[in-house]
Amino acid sequence: MNVKNSSWTVLFISHIKRDVLVNTRSLIDVISVFGFMLLIIILFPIGIGPTKEKLDIVSNAVLWISLIIAIIPSLEKMLQKDFDSGWLDQIATSPAPLEIILLAKSISHWLIVIIPLILASPLFAILLDLEFNQIPWIILSMTIGGLSISLIGIIGAALVLGARRGNVLLPVLIIPLIIPILIFGVGINEAVKIGNSPLSNLFLLIAFSLIYLVISPFVSALLIRIAISR
Amino acid sequence: MFNWLANPNRFNRITNKAQPFFALFSIVTIIFGLYFGLFDSPKDYQQGDAVRIMYVHVPSAWLASGLYLSLAVSCIFYLVWKHPLADIISRSIAPIGALFSLLTLITGSLWGKPMWGTWWVWDARLTSMLILFFFYAGYILLSNAFERKIDGSKSAAVLAIIGVINLPIIKFSVDWWHTLHQPSSILKLDGPSINEQMLLPLILMIIGFSFLSSYLIILNVKTKLIEKKCEALILKSNLNEISKLG
Repeated sequence: MNVKNSSWTVLFISHIKRDVLVNTRSLIDVISVFGFMLLIIILFPIGIGPTKEKLDIVSNAVLWISLIIAIIPSLEKMLQKDFDSGWLDQIATSPAPLEIILLAKSISHWLIVIIPLILASPLFAILLDLEFNQIPWIILSMTIGGLSISLIGIIGAALVLGARRGNVLLPVLIIPLIIPILIFGVGINEAVKIGNSPLSNLFLLIAFSLIYLVISPFVSALLIRIAISR
Repeated sequence: MFNWLANPNRFNRITNKAQPFFALFSIVTIIFGLYFGLFDSPKDYQQGDAVRIMYVHVPSAWLASGLYLSLAVSCIFYLVWKHPLADIISRSIAPIGALFSLLTLITGSLWGKPMWGTWWVWDARLTSMLILFFFYAGYILLSNAFERKIDGSKSAAVLAIIGVINLPIIKFSVDWWHTLHQPSSILKLDGPSINEQMLLPLILMIIGFSFLSSYLIILNVKTKLIEKKCEALILKSNLNEISKLG
């Protein structure tokens, strides 16, 4: 490890730049995730029926569930391409710390995939007939919750590297880990809806995200070293 | 100490002696536990005879959660000290733990039908047991998802350890979610106090189930060791044939 501390931030930022650049060269991925989430949201009112009262009960949950389902297919791509091309092998054998690069990878996934969905969330909120005073809380909760989904997602992507049918396996492994995010996220918005303080749920969501902010880079680096060694 | 125990031959020697005792002990305690539980314990004043499901339900719930902990411990042993036997043991624990959590869910819903009037309630405990089952399923799926079986061992071990960190968080969050949505008006299995006559069969069943599960795990480990030996023999004979041809 002859890389100095100050150059870690340079490494971190340059990797975020690289990932954002690679993934925004063709916007088709971002647009398809957005379209997927929009379609899931459209499916719910069609399935439930057009009455406002029924939709009112489930609207917050629908928003969160569609966010999670829309993100999951994009998680596998986070590492798969770089693993197949051998880029990850190169990085893992270089002196650059793998943990920093993986943290940069999950942050850039959050920037590329989840932030556009959050920017579009006012539109989704209108479709689901949510009140306007809820929108800032939706944006805040989804920003934090989305970051922890990215952080958990990179662990999942690293778990299934090289597995048969990893894309099928990934949701099965990831969804049980995501359950607390769903509970706290919906809790925040439900509390705002009925006029309670959402802070307790918000703090729990932040605590959960911070735990994964610490764990995720190390666990996924360990998993990638395992994947490379086989 | 663990290095000494990690030798498969030594494991076989010790367990060969222990296994019949485990089998005998589990049969005796389960028979006595079932007798006391089904015939010689009082009915619950509210639940009637349905309370007797508890004598299967509670031990399997305990074992399902206990076995997950032992799965995680043996995964730590595999990751840190890289004993091949630890991997075989964790692979053997997983299906049995999954079986017990499934048994908990099934007996729970059998009990729920007369008590709650429905097979399934999104009660905090039921939900966390279901999630525990999914953790077992994830471990089993991931450990078998690779071309060569051994390739999945380390990744699956990491998954089991993540699970053991996560399960308390999930348990807590599910409790939190439950209390937010509805007050706990539901009857729960653990009443405020438990009758002595009910406690005896319950303890007997817990002991019996523990011995049964250790017996099954040992059996599973032995089968896997024999499987490995067979694979090695097949590989050897193939190599011999290739060398004859060459």
